[in-house]
Amino acid sequence: MIITNNDWVFNKYKNSLNVVYIDGTFKDVLIAVRDKLHMGHELLTHPLGSSVKPSETPYKSIMITDNKNNINFNSIYMIENAIITYDKFNKDKLKFINEKIAEDLKLIDLTVLESALNI
Amino acid sequence: MKLELGYIFIKDIQFSDVSKVENGTLYVNKEEVKALILEDQNFKKADVELAKPGESVRIMPVKDVIEPRVKVEGPGGIFPGMINKVETVGSGKTNVLKGAAVLTTGKIVGFQEGIIDMTGPGADYTPFSKLNNLVLVCEPIDSLKQHEHEKALRFAGYKVALYLGALAKNLTPDEVEVFETPTLVEGLKMYPGLPRVAYVFMLQSQGLLHDTYVYGVDAKQSLTTMIYPTEVMDGAIVSGNCVSACDKNTTYHHLNNPIIHDLFAEHGKTLNFVGVIITNENVYLADKERSSYWSAKLVEFLGVDGVIVSEEGFGNPDTDLIMNCKKIEAKGIKTVLVTDEYAGRDGTSQSLADADASANAVVSAGNANEVIELPPMEKLIGHVKVADVIAGGFDGSLHKDGSITAELQVITGATNEMGFNKLSAR
Amino acid sequence: MMKIVHYINQFFANVGGEEMAHIPAEVREGIVGPGLAFQQAFKDEAEIVATIVCGDSYFNENMDEAKKTIIEMVKKYNPDLFIAGPAFNAGRYGVACGTIAKAVKDELNIPVLTGMYVENPGADMFKNNIYIVSTKNSAAGMRDAVKKMAPLALKLGKGEKIGASSEEGYIPNGVRVNFYEKERGSKRAVKMLLAKLSGKEFQTEFPMPDFDRVTANPAVKDITKAKIALVTSGGIVPKGNPDHIESSSASKYGKYDIDGVTDLTEETYETAHGGYDPVYANQDPDRVLPVDIMREFEKEGKIGSLHRYFYTTVGNGTAVKSAKAFAEKYAKELKADGVDAVILTST
Repeated sequence: MIITNNDWVFNKYKNSLNVVYIDGTFKDVLIAVRDKLHMGHELLTHPLGSSVKPSETPYKSIMITDNKNNINFNSIYMIENAIITYDKFNKDKLKFINEKIAEDLKLIDLTVLESALNI
Repeated sequence: MKLELGYIFIKDIQFSDVSKVENGTLYVNKEEVKALILEDQNFKKADVELAKPGESVRIMPVKDVIEPRVKVEGPGGIFPGMINKVETVGSGKTNVLKGAAVLTTGKIVGFQEGIIDMTGPGADYTPFSKLNNLVLVCEPIDSLKQHEHEKALRFAGYKVALYLGALAKNLTPDEVEVFETPTLVEGLKMYPGLPRVAYVFMLQSQGLLHDTYVYGVDAKQSLTTMIYPTEVMDGAIVSGNCVSACDKNTTYHHLNNPIIHDLFAEHGKTLNFVGVIITNENVYLADKERSSYWSAKLVEFLGVDGVIVSEEGFGNPDTDLIMNCKKIEAKGIKTVLVTDEYAGRDGTSQSLADADASANAVVSAGNANEVIELPPMEKLIGHVKVADVIAGGFDGSLHKDGSITAELQVITGATNEMGFNKLSAR
Repeated sequence: MMKIVHYINQFFANVGGEEMAHIPAEVREGIVGPGLAFQQAFKDEAEIVATIVCGDSYFNENMDEAKKTIIEMVKKYNPDLFIAGPAFNAGRYGVACGTIAKAVKDELNIPVLTGMYVENPGADMFKNNIYIVSTKNSAAGMRDAVKKMAPLALKLGKGEKIGASSEEGYIPNGVRVNFYEKERGSKRAVKMLLAKLSGKEFQTEFPMPDFDRVTANPAVKDITKAKIALVTSGGIVPKGNPDHIESSSASKYGKYDIDGVTDLTEETYETAHGGYDPVYANQDPDRVLPVDIMREFEKEGKIGSLHRYFYTTVGNGTAVKSAKAFAEKYAKELKADGVDAVILTST
């Protein structure tokens, strides 16, 4: 399952994979993933993939298991740390993203996700 | 494997009719370099500028920094698998234009990190302000996709670096340094009493603008493996990583890996520098687990007593770093980690995205969130238009007078996690 | 010239030891005791205009009153800087220094500085609120303490930018500050590895966050059936301190049998602890180790039983490492003896 707020990811994979589109911020994606993890899903990709900081990009796609199991504490630990890390970045710069930049950032998010899909 | 690095010290760089090195000055024929870049039809325009230490010059956005080197004797050529063939490098003789560098700039994607100031407070934070730089400003053809643009720019940089390096092929070096790694068996016999040490070298590997290549192979696709330290000195590992400026390893960093140099300095004296293990930082968690298990396995197999582990990047590589540390320490092998910190602008946030009690020996390259003021520079090289357009197009803001309030993150090489610099934090 | 008010305890003012720890705060003009060493270090740049002397017991037992009074005293001099201590490893002095320094900073808005040994309880309590210079663990380290405190004090008084903890000598306070080392990171890594490999001491540049959180056990299901043990760091020992547990920086603990003992008395028990006024604990040791009450509860069926052994040590300046080691031993034995819960008393 892919949780994402990147419409490029949603549009590209909605018919072939289980994609949940979040109409919200990077943090909304982290929270949505966190909620799923507490219900027994597991993280498949690191929630802070890519060195583009949360202060530089509003887009994030994260892959988790489709199936639920017992709670995986490593996943919980990772998502909670990711949220803490997210909060420490100053997001003022995000106001200045124009369409071209947004496209570039969506592309980066997409390619980083795809680096995991190729497995 | 034994390599002799011959340093030709470059103290100045100038344009001239004939490209050559004479009395410590690198003379460059601008038109030849431009023509070299334009061989790649993905570029519609190319310009070449000079940036010297102390000049009031700001270069941005910087993509890569490359040191000109050339193979003088021995198998293979610099940047094997990229420009040259894949024959194993790292032995024989290599000449280096020490004090010079090729800088590539390019607005490949929207975020504009990668600033180098040649003077002022910003200059202190980057080692590249001390070099004589040849800056490539290349315009891609319209509609060139980002992947292709990145690749084209990367290759342009290597080509120009090799072109300049070739000028040193027949020169007598000002200074020679010799590096030798014995085979495992030889090493055991030569240094029976010395602690055995290896270097676990983590490479960024997450996708577009986040990749590293080893003999031309994308590190993302590679299992953890070993390499001779001198192969790295011949450009076996190159950077396709443009994010983020402060803690990505430029190709210059790879060529001059300080951990490799400082381990060699002690080799045979206080330690036996057995070898280098390269491992990746994929975003897929199972890959992280696989790679770190593999690192620990190789380290144990080599029979080393301790390792230095360096990471590249922010956030998810912290998880790889901690995984490598935990698994290696669990085998009774001691670790020292080298990393930078993102402790927030006020320095109070948790510096790393992951942690473990076994990581009890850490070298810090500084807090990348520290806010700095960069005064305006007289000349701007790179993509001026972008700099003008958006206040805040940089991390922080570009002020009307041209000064920038930004986090240390934006300066190329500022918090390098190979321990290249003296900056630290407590 | 920078004006400084200095705060010290009864011991450093040469008024007396523990027996004089009850004296209330008083102001003396100029320098008293260690202030002289500071003044010599400050030369012409600063002057200690007044010294406030206060007993550690008085401060700790009358905190609100003491803070109010002392702040008024400090206010009168309108100083540019306030220095407390250094307290080295004296726990109550450290807490007093930290408390008063923070109060002065918060209420009078002037820079403050204190100094203490990193294991002083006052250090953990206040290191994130005020600058605390890291000192040695006893007054023998006074010269070293002043050497570090004086320059930092002048910087604070002048409003200069304060550098990283390792540069300025203060206990890391959770704020990471960038600075330039003498050698590059890779060299420092090689040196650190060599030290770690040979078992030598080394300092990590980034301490991992403290993982020492102990998760609480679930509540005792039925306290009326539970076997409860008493454990103390208040130093209660059989009269005569047969095992010679030290009055501070204890290197050992004691395990004593109270089978049949229903009450601790002045004749049979005493306190070995040197960090508080022993008078009341010696008069009735139950005040620190409540055997009498536990026996009452036992009789009334409020608890199952009082375990026949109690464990004791002196918490005064005892290293965290030692405390942990003792506790590991107790824990094993207590578990083996079927104890369900422990009441821990300190001072």
